[in-house]
Amino acid sequence: MNAARILESDLHAYADRRLAPAASAAVEAALAREPALAAQVAGIRAQNAALRDALDPMLAEPIPERLLDAARPRATAMARGDGARRWRVPLFAAAATLVLGVAVGWFGRDALIERAGTPTTFARQAAFAHALYAADARRPVEVWAAEEKGLVTWLTKRLGFAVHAPDLNSVGYALVGGRLVAGNEKPTGFFMYENADKARLTLQVRKQASGTPETAFRYTVENGVGVFYWIDEECGYALSGNIERAQLLSVARVVYGQLAALEAAPK
Amino acid sequence: MPLPDAAAGLPHPELVAAIPRLRRYARVLCGDVTRADDLVQDALARAWEKRVLWKAGSDLRAWLFTIMHNVYVNQLALARREAGNVSLDAEDERGAAWQVPVRGNQFDRVELLELVAQMDRLPVEQREVLLLAAVEEMPYAEIAAALGIPIGTVMSRLSRAREKLRRMTAEPVSTLKVIK
Repeated sequence: MNAARILESDLHAYADRRLAPAASAAVEAALAREPALAAQVAGIRAQNAALRDALDPMLAEPIPERLLDAARPRATAMARGDGARRWRVPLFAAAATLVLGVAVGWFGRDALIERAGTPTTFARQAAFAHALYAADARRPVEVWAAEEKGLVTWLTKRLGFAVHAPDLNSVGYALVGGRLVAGNEKPTGFFMYENADKARLTLQVRKQASGTPETAFRYTVENGVGVFYWIDEECGYALSGNIERAQLLSVARVVYGQLAALEAAPK
Repeated sequence: MPLPDAAAGLPHPELVAAIPRLRRYARVLCGDVTRADDLVQDALARAWEKRVLWKAGSDLRAWLFTIMHNVYVNQLALARREAGNVSLDAEDERGAAWQVPVRGNQFDRVELLELVAQMDRLPVEQREVLLLAAVEEMPYAEIAAALGIPIGTVMSRLSRAREKLRRMTAEPVSTLKVIK
């Protein structure tokens, strides 16, 4: 039986794991027949892996202050100083940028007014970070669970207080890993868990501004993500997931219980 | 369900989280770190100007890539016009070489630098498609949308980039120019 020729684009899509199942089956049949095609796919995958190995370390570089400024709403009024020289942008363009920047600064004021440290803000940020990273199939975390000890040490150092990754295996969730995420004022520690069905939960922890009253469990839904959050001593916790409220609450209780036990244990 | 204040601005945590990827993409476009960071800064400024065009809940990274690509193309066009229409071949556009930190323990350091130097020799159009498909793992349709080109063009650039890079890496190790 002579199967149809495999399209070059299908071969690339297959190597990148972007091909629909039906088309994948046809490619796989061709790969089994033609060793040269199989070698080509293997070559593409090896090249992808080598490129990621070469370029991924860039992601861990510290972000320059000027870029963090540029990401902040209020920074938009500041045009890049040397832009005009480098690209010889006419002066009027720089002036227009300034006018626009001032306008953006004004209309962006809501973001500035949003109070740092309020539970609502924390829950919303937690939901965003959850949505962003839980959807990432390949690289949801910066440090994988295999290096749990290093992860906890790193986060403890960056956050400035002792951080623990609760063990959620008893409720069916294994630690995937963690990362540091930016918060309004203070950085946030981020742990991701996954169950057998690949459903993901994230636990985020950060130091609260002093004087934040303690709260019991609160629940909110932000952008379709359920979040249980609470403040205990100086720390705010947010457990986020796209699962039912009751399930999320039962996991939140386990987390709370473990953290409380650690707190009570002698140091 | 959009957030009530979705129109007020871009989500700041997501924006900050996207910066490392923007910097990497910019470095693939521009080469040296300073020019790349200038481009990221311009792109972030542009993103705030255009923020009402971002749909809350959609992929912020892809949207930012689109913006940065457009800023890059506009700046390049402007620079070329002023330089009296020199070469339209993007391979000649770059003066600076890659400056890439490489973790030595994972892989052979020299091999990785060699690979990056060779990727640098691809035309910019092929480099960016290769980065978005192979490294960022974006779906082809999203790449086509981000770069404003048909999906067939994405595929042909990707195919050519891979083949060229494969042939280059198959050659015996040539002179490794990390910093020109």
